[in-house]
Amino acid sequence: MTLDATQARLAGLLAKAALGDRVAFAELYRATSSKLFAVSLRIVRERPLAEEALQDSFVNIWNHASDYAQAKSAPTTWMTAIVRNRSLDIVRRTREEPDVDDALSVNLVDESAAPPREAEARAEAHSIQHCLGELDAEQRQTIALAFFHGLTHSELAEHLRRPLGTVKTHIRRGLLKLKDCLMRTGDVERG
Amino acid sequence: MRLTPTAIQALAGEYVLGTLRGRARSRFEEHMRSDRAVAAEVARWEAAITPLAESVAPVEPPKRVWSGIEERLRPRAARPASGGFWRSFGMVAGGLASVLLAFFVYISSGPRGEPLFVAVLADTAPRMVVSMHQPDLLRVRVVKPWGGMDKQSLELWAMPAKGGAPRSLGLVTNAMGDTMIKIAGNDPRVQDVNALAVSMEPMGGSPTGQPTGAVVCQGMIAPVKRA
Repeated sequence: MTLDATQARLAGLLAKAALGDRVAFAELYRATSSKLFAVSLRIVRERPLAEEALQDSFVNIWNHASDYAQAKSAPTTWMTAIVRNRSLDIVRRTREEPDVDDALSVNLVDESAAPPREAEARAEAHSIQHCLGELDAEQRQTIALAFFHGLTHSELAEHLRRPLGTVKTHIRRGLLKLKDCLMRTGDVERG
Repeated sequence: MRLTPTAIQALAGEYVLGTLRGRARSRFEEHMRSDRAVAAEVARWEAAITPLAESVAPVEPPKRVWSGIEERLRPRAARPASGGFWRSFGMVAGGLASVLLAFFVYISSGPRGEPLFVAVLADTAPRMVVSMHQPDLLRVRVVKPWGGMDKQSLELWAMPAKGGAPRSLGLVTNAMGDTMIKIAGNDPRVQDVNALAVSMEPMGGSPTGQPTGAVVCQGMIAPVKRA
């Protein structure tokens, strides 16, 4: 894996944080928190919960910064995975009554079809966007809803007005197609 | 019970996507911890799918989030040998016999006199034994070098007990055997330190005077006698 300049800088900050450098950790927070807060907010949907998720995640990142050396992924990937996992945990704890349609304020089809917004978006982001584009519309929408908004199978079925089995099939087949496509573009090792 | 490759692939994808929930998610996390193949498949999916999050428009979190984080950070160096940073220490506890053996061989073949302090630096296994000798010699004995680091240097850092910036003690040769570093026992860099760490740096060492690369091994300092 080669890291671009931004990712290399973040990796350096993580290394310093692993050694107890709070100044570096604060810089890491400034560089990444607004993106990660947005990721969490879409999943947990309420600001206080997203604040909790972000706080827990950064404490976790501090405590496990020395593990990053073994992670073999880009710093943003590693940190985003931590934030998404924590957000999903919080959702599981708090969201008993799904009220999916009221809470979804973003046009999801547009989102999943859009190219990365940043000119500097990384090659990996580009290939996943490209491969998402290869899925059929329903598979793409189902997978984007699950990824960005943390919907469960039954929430997806309710929101998309499709039988549960259909939703599960879209996800399973969509993920397989995604993986095939990503392997073709060399983004995922065969495993 | 081990999962089949097909099950691993399907579950890892849904785990990373987030649709694997509840007890199924917790069970899968147990598999991740116990089965390397599962963890590797999750890592592949994370690398593949997670960059999608780059397309999300950023939202600035309120300032209180950072204050809350700062309050919850424990000072790294002052921590006892448990929890995040020192967890690798626990991981090597099982290999204690080999550490003691390495240490014994080391002491018995060392310079005359007791060292001022010793430290065994480890990742998942002991990597080097460092000792400070009077009057002015720090000896770094590498017992397990790293492969594939030809274009990088290893830099040794002293960690102040009260936190703060690590202090560079010099470069360490990535090969079995000793690196001798001339440094006085009363050098300010080795005062009030309680741990040592080694980071991977560009050839010739850190360009900034602070660690810039990954920490590859670390260990607590055990004082032997007063200077």
